[in-house]
Amino acid sequence: MREKNKKKIEKGARNLVVLGVLSTVVALTTTGVALAIYHNSGDIYLDRSRPGFLPDEEEIQQDEGEREDDDYVFQKDTVLDTEKMDEFLEKLQEEIDAINAYEKPFGEEVLSDERLGIPTTESAAGKNE
Amino acid sequence: MKRISFIVCLVVSLVTVPVGAISKEQAAAIIDHCVAIKDDLRDVQRADARARVYIGGKYEMILNGFVKPLNLYLVERNISRTDLVESQSLISETRGEFVNDYVDYQQGLEQLVSMDCKEDAEQFYDKLVRVRKKRSKVDQDMKKMDTVLNEYKVRVLKMKEGLDARKE
Repeated sequence: MREKNKKKIEKGARNLVVLGVLSTVVALTTTGVALAIYHNSGDIYLDRSRPGFLPDEEEIQQDEGEREDDDYVFQKDTVLDTEKMDEFLEKLQEEIDAINAYEKPFGEEVLSDERLGIPTTESAAGKNE
Repeated sequence: MKRISFIVCLVVSLVTVPVGAISKEQAAAIIDHCVAIKDDLRDVQRADARARVYIGGKYEMILNGFVKPLNLYLVERNISRTDLVESQSLISETRGEFVNDYVDYQQGLEQLVSMDCKEDAEQFYDKLVRVRKKRSKVDQDMKKMDTVLNEYKVRVLKMKEGLDARKE
């Protein structure tokens, strides 16, 4: 009887270890897959909660200010008249202006040789002469 | 046979020749300022993330708050405006290009930041030139979107003029 109980306990302990190992493997696999999707989909580049990418105080205040003005959405149940169209065009222009106000966000000078402190090909050639 | 070997040589040279030629001074500057260059690139990554979230949000806002609801309104009332439908697909398509090109550029920039510029300055510069090209693609997408949005505005204005004429 004792021997039987001992065997049962040993088997239970082994099953517990197997369960622990399997759960760890499953957790690691699913986390790995999730991270791969997160990276390959490009979501990582939009995630501003990453260390070093957190918005600064000025930006947070700016965002809060913008959130206070309600976003315009064209209401489908309205009667489309010239006043409504004027409002639509005015709000649309505001959004376009807001994009244009962001001066050259992907301009080439940010990664230029001068900006990175690398001598330009011409200046290097000049020195060589 | 000669022609085939010429094509093979051409392809091989195109694949192996680095994009950006680098002088000794440039290589020395990259090795000397490696840490500073990488810090600058990390700053660029942070600024890009901010710009991407802001501008991407605005594009989404225009598409979902203006373009799609107006077209749906017109469809529900059996008003045919093929030019506005065309604008919607153009805006949607350009937004998709912007999103994909940005991811492509950021992946390149990430690889560039993780490279050891002290070890191989030439390869680092070569990668930098490629990343610049990818960045300019994102810039071009924004310019294209600006054109498409202005065109859309003109089309809506035309529709409004039609309403005005009907009123008179």
